Parts: sequence; structure tokens; C-alpha cells
Amino acid sequence: MTGPETTSKEPKRMSSAPEQSEQTEAAPDLSAMGERRQGHGIKVRDLHAYYGSVHAVRGIDIDFPANEVTAIIGPSGCGKSTMVRCINRMHEEIPGARSEGSVSLDDLDVYGSNVDVTAVRRMIGMVFQKPNPFPTMSIFDNVAAGLRLTGMKSDNLRERVHRALRAVGLWGEVKNRLNSPGIGLSGGQQQRLCIARAVAVEPEVILMDEPASALDPIATLKVEELIDELKNRYTIVIVTHNMQQAARVAKSTVFMLDGEVVEHAETTKLFTNPSDERTERYVTGKFG
Amino acid sequence: MQETRHQFREDLRELERQVLGGLDLVIGQLDRALESVSYQDVELAAMVVADDDRIDGRYLEVHQGILSLLARQSPVATDLRIVAALLHCIRCIERMGDQCVNIAKLVPLSGHDAPKDKDTLDAIERMGQLARSEVSEAKDALRTRNVELAQDIVRQDAEINRLNRAIFKRAVEIGDDLELREWGMFMILVARCLERVGDNAVEIAEQVVFVVTGLFREVADIGASAETAQSN
Amino acid sequence: MSTVSGALIPEISAGRKRRDRVMRGLLMAGTGLALVPLILIIYYLIYKGIGSWSGSFFTTDPNGNFFGNPGGIRSAILGTLEIVALASLISIPIGIAVALYLTEYGNDGVFANLVRYFVDVMTGVPSIVFGLFIYIVLVISHAGGSGFAGWKGALALSLLMLPIVIRSSEVVLLLVPSSLREAALALGAPRWRIIWKVVLPTARSGLVTGALLSVARGMGETAPLLFTVSVAFPVTFNLNGIMNSLPLQIYGDITSPRDVVVARAWGAALTLVALVLILNLIARAISRRSRLT
Repeated sequence: MTGPETTSKEPKRMSSAPEQSEQTEAAPDLSAMGERRQGHGIKVRDLHAYYGSVHAVRGIDIDFPANEVTAIIGPSGCGKSTMVRCINRMHEEIPGARSEGSVSLDDLDVYGSNVDVTAVRRMIGMVFQKPNPFPTMSIFDNVAAGLRLTGMKSDNLRERVHRALRAVGLWGEVKNRLNSPGIGLSGGQQQRLCIARAVAVEPEVILMDEPASALDPIATLKVEELIDELKNRYTIVIVTHNMQQAARVAKSTVFMLDGEVVEHAETTKLFTNPSDERTERYVTGKFG
Repeated sequence: MQETRHQFREDLRELERQVLGGLDLVIGQLDRALESVSYQDVELAAMVVADDDRIDGRYLEVHQGILSLLARQSPVATDLRIVAALLHCIRCIERMGDQCVNIAKLVPLSGHDAPKDKDTLDAIERMGQLARSEVSEAKDALRTRNVELAQDIVRQDAEINRLNRAIFKRAVEIGDDLELREWGMFMILVARCLERVGDNAVEIAEQVVFVVTGLFREVADIGASAETAQSN
Repeated sequence: MSTVSGALIPEISAGRKRRDRVMRGLLMAGTGLALVPLILIIYYLIYKGIGSWSGSFFTTDPNGNFFGNPGGIRSAILGTLEIVALASLISIPIGIAVALYLTEYGNDGVFANLVRYFVDVMTGVPSIVFGLFIYIVLVISHAGGSGFAGWKGALALSLLMLPIVIRSSEVVLLLVPSSLREAALALGAPRWRIIWKVVLPTARSGLVTGALLSVARGMGETAPLLFTVSVAFPVTFNLNGIMNSLPLQIYGDITSPRDVVVARAWGAALTLVALVLILNLIARAISRRSRLT
């Protein structure tokens, strides 16, 4: 696919050259999570989702390549959040909701008959729009919650929690108050805490449903910087209202409308020369 | 119901109008510069030089307007291509204006005697007409987003290039005549300015194709991409 | 104030001011009217009851003698505590469990709504009916080898406390944001762990408050105990027999011809109210301390 020259994306550093130790503590440091593993992608085939009789997602086929960030954009009610929640089988938790089709993590169909739903969700983590740390738990306990709630006994719980906090770049800010309540942090920090919580369980895929829409611009940029780092280790799917955000973080973008995929292209192409008329009208703000 | 992003669309349309107006200014300058060459009208030439300020001013206006639009409105897709194209075009306009000035500056230098060689003069006039028509068509192509018109500009430009080479040859021929020699060399320079004007018009044509098809092609391929744009 | 701003934002009219004052006066009068009996009750209780309070009041048992020192109310206090403790042990866990079922699993299903309906009905049942029910089923039949018994009274009380616990627990559990459950689900936690480690801890203070309030209510009920426990004067820890309790002690004493016994009844009533008040204050303190900023 040709287009106007694209420059390769470099993660933007907000500040210029702070002290070395501060830098390593403040910046997301995924090497803390250990050796890189082979990434895993997701394939969605012929996915349909219903709320009772409402047909919210109509026959979706998408590939989410391993270790890449794919963004999903579209107007409200187009089914993007629903579709994403079908990937980690959260959709079926809603009373009256059901889905059909297949979602495969590499070769495993998560809708298979013998598949343990909780295991699926451990492999495919999720971060929500509004940060939701557990209010009765401290920062440490919040990050450990994933491990404790899923019964993953581990002798090095402390280490895993510290690693996760380093991975999301929160370590420097919270290392001296790991026992203070999780909800005492600012909105942006809470969201990164939730990301640390998801990362601590060591999933393969991370789904993000508008992760920055409740945050102020600086916090948003920090989360985006984090996403850019996270992709080196996880496959990331991000639903977003904010087209500039999709443009900044995602390698490829899917545009959905009325439950269907209208266009799925490399992000630069979608935003400079979309193929579909409807995509053009949406991104230029002629409707939406 | 008001269209969405009404102010943005209005601002974009205004920028386009300013660029099209800039092309009108260029056409005006070109006409007067050519006239001053034909009739050795030094005063007219001086006016052309002075009026270039208007084109420079237009350039700054459009440039500033584009920066402001980019900062405030984050244009994407077609809007982004239009903005990028307008930036290219206004630079071409500024350069074309400078070429007209260069032509005008050559007039007093070639002396107050009546021009000497009819062949050369005809060729210059012909080149001037072609250049003018190219600029005018570029304006229309931009205004109507017409890819076929852009293609035509490329064709005309081949003719300008040919005339440029012909004038050079002719100047060499008449170079033996001492009286004509200096004038002939000035005419070479005039021809080159006109050829540059043509090149800038071709660049504008390329931008039109870019806006419509999203593909950036050098001159030679514009014919092919026009066909693909048709079939899309 | 310049006339310009006066024109833009007109002054409040005199009529409006008058109506505001009248309305405020009416509301205050209504409040006062409601407060009056409340204050009178408390006043009377203290006036009539405080005289009986003494060291021996709390450390001796009523002795049923017709002459001489009638004794204190120790066995009544202990009896109430025993019976209510047993009733709480039964009703609170079951009540919370039912509330959990309603909020986590039942949601809006037919069965769940049926349960809610019945719980609502139960809150309206007069407490004497519970007493009669236990009386017919357990007392007359001498179930468990006794007629009147403390545990049967506890059972009657728990029937009364159960719907209160269920109702208040359900309200508190519904207040737990569903985003927390979602977060835990998305981490891959099984349902029961979510309930145990996320929902219950988050709702803990509300549940405790609700439980304490139901306990306070249970403490003061007389009718259920009338038909199930009867009265006994000595202290006993045998729940399978008759025992004393504060409400019944008061009931028995207040009709006595002896003034000193009547005074004891007032003292017992004051004690009961004090106990309920303390429970309420503890509940209030817990809920305030845990209010999350």
C-alpha cells in the first residue's frame, strides 16, 4: 500500500533528560518483566453479538497481529466495545447477552466447549475506561489482586508486584507508599495501577476500552507512552473515541459502523487516504 | 442544519480561495511582464516588480492560515491532503511571482531599442501564452479537482520545454550579429523564467492529483494515475 | 447595589419572602411536633428509670419475692444477650447469604423477584405472629425435649431479624460498583472468589451497620418471646430451658402492685434503650469511619 511518506514512530519522551535514576524509575520499563516471549495474536471470525434481540455485532472478521497495537474507532453505538468484550468473553456476563462465532488466540478457540472462561480472561486482560482499583485494597494489594483472585499461588508475590509496577512506570511514584490505599492516587496513576494489575497476571493480550478518556491530557500521554512500550511484550487492542489517539499509538486501525467493519488499514493510510467513503466522512468529522 | 465543523470548513474554503486568488495575481503579473518584454516597456516592468509584494503578502497570509488550521483543527484524510497541497501551491505561486519579476527586470537591461529578432520574439510570445494557459488551467484544475485538466497541463509543459530549447538554439544562431547577441542572451533568460513558471504550474497539477487520488506521482506517471483515479 | 444590576436580577418580592417564612415555620412546627413525644419518652425513661440504677441493679438477679428487696435485672440482661446472640448467629449469615444470592446470581430473574416479594411481606408481619408460629410448631410439641426454651425464642427473633438483614444487606451490596466486579471478572477470577475478596470487603461496613441495626431491633421485641421463652429469674446458660430477658422482665414487672418493682421495670426499660442506643452509635461510627473519600 503506497501513500505519502510515513515516518517511523518513535515514542515521544515528555521531559528532556532528567536524572538517570529518576528516568529509569519513571519511564515504563518492560524489561522488568523478564525475557521476551513469542507474542500471540488474535483472530476473530464471523463474530456476532446480541443484547437480547438487538444485533449489535454483525459478522466481524479481524486479525489482531501479535505484538502490535490495533485501534478500533467508530461512532457511539457502533459495537466496538461489544466486539472487544467478546474477545475475553466478558460480553456473556451481561444478562440476556450472547455471542456466536470464533475468537482464536493463536490456535485455541476461546469459545471452545471445554475452555475454562477464567483461564481465557487470565490470558486476555482488560483495562477499562474508568480506572477501577479495588477501594479496600492498598496499592500493593491491588496489583497482587490479580494473582490472588485467580488462585495463582506464587512464592515471589512481592517480586511480581514490584516488577509490574516498574513495567508501567509507576514504581518511582509509589515505591514508598505501597501500603496506602489504591484509590488515593490521581486518576492517571490509578489507571496505570489498573494496567499494572492486569500485567501482573502475565497475559498475552491486553484489551483496552477507551483507557484514557477519563484522564487529563498529561496522564493520557503517559498512558499512550506506556502502550507503546507494552506492545513489545503483549498484543494490544485499544478502543478509542479519540482519533488522534488512535493515530498516535496504533499501527493499524479498524473503523466500525453499525456493528460491521467498514475499513481496516494501516493507521497512516486510514487517516491520510481512506478507501471507503464512510471512513472519510467519519474521520473528517462530517458525521459521528 | 449546519454542517459539522462549520468553522473549519469555512476556514479551509477561505484558504483555498486565497490560493486561487494568488494564481490570479500570478496571471496578471505574467501578462504584464510579457507585454513589457514585447514592447520594451520599462515602466510596465517596474510596476511588475513593485507588485510582487502582493504575492509575497499572499504567501505569508496563506502560510499563517495553514499553520493555524493545523494547530487548531487536526485535519485528516482529504482535508489533510488539501492543506498540504495548498501549502505546496502557495509556494509555487510565490516562485512564479518571482519568475515574473525576473522577467521584468530583464526588460530595461535589453536596451530601449525595438526588439530585433522576430522568430525569437514569436517563440517567446508563444511560450508566454502557453505558460499563461498552464497557470490558468492549474487554477481551474485546483478549483474543480479535475485530474484530466492536470494531465493536460503536463502535455502543454512539454511544448514549453521544446520552445525553450528552440529559443536557445535560435539565440546561438543570431549570436554572430553583434547587435542582436546581447538581446538574444536576455531572451534566453526570459525563456528560462517562463519555463520555470511552467514547471511550477506542473507542480500544482501534481498536487491536484495528490488531493484527488491520495497518491503522489511525479509528472511522468500522472497519466497513469489519472486512469486509476477514474476507475476508483 | 446599582439599579443596573437590580434590573438584570430583580430583587426577591415581599410576597415570596413571606411565603418562604410561612413554609419554613410550618416545617419547623411539624418537626417540633414529631420531636415532642420522642423527647417526652426519653425524659420519662430517664426520670423514672435512673433512680433504679445502681451497682446491685446490674449484679443481682430478680428473686420473685413478694417482700423485701426484689433484686436487680442481671439475669434479664444476660438472658437477652444470649437469646439475641443466638438469633443473630442464625439470621445474619443466612440474611447476608440471601442478599448475596439476590444481587450476584438472581438479578432480575423470576425466582429472585419472588424472594424479594416474600421478604417484603415478612418485614410487615407483626412480631407476635412469629412468636405464635414458633409456639405452635416447637413449644407445644415440646420439640427438643422442652416447652418454653431460649433457643426457640432466638428462632422466633431470627425470623423477625432475617428480612431486615436481607433488605439492608441487599441495598448495601447493590451499592458496590459493578465496575469492581467487572474488573475482578476481567482478571479471570471465579465468581465465588469475587464475592469473597472483592464484594464483601467493599460492602463490609454497610453490612455490619445493617446487622447491628437488626440486632438492636431484635433486642427490644417482646411478643415473640412471650410465647416461646416465658420468664425465669435465675441466670441460666442453658438455652434449652426457660430463661429471663429484658422485655419480658419489664412486661412482668410493670403491672406489679409494688412500687419498687415498677421502678425496676423502668430501670430495665432504660437499660434496654441504652443498649439499643449504644448499638446504634457503634453502627453510626463504623459507617462514618469507612466512608470512602
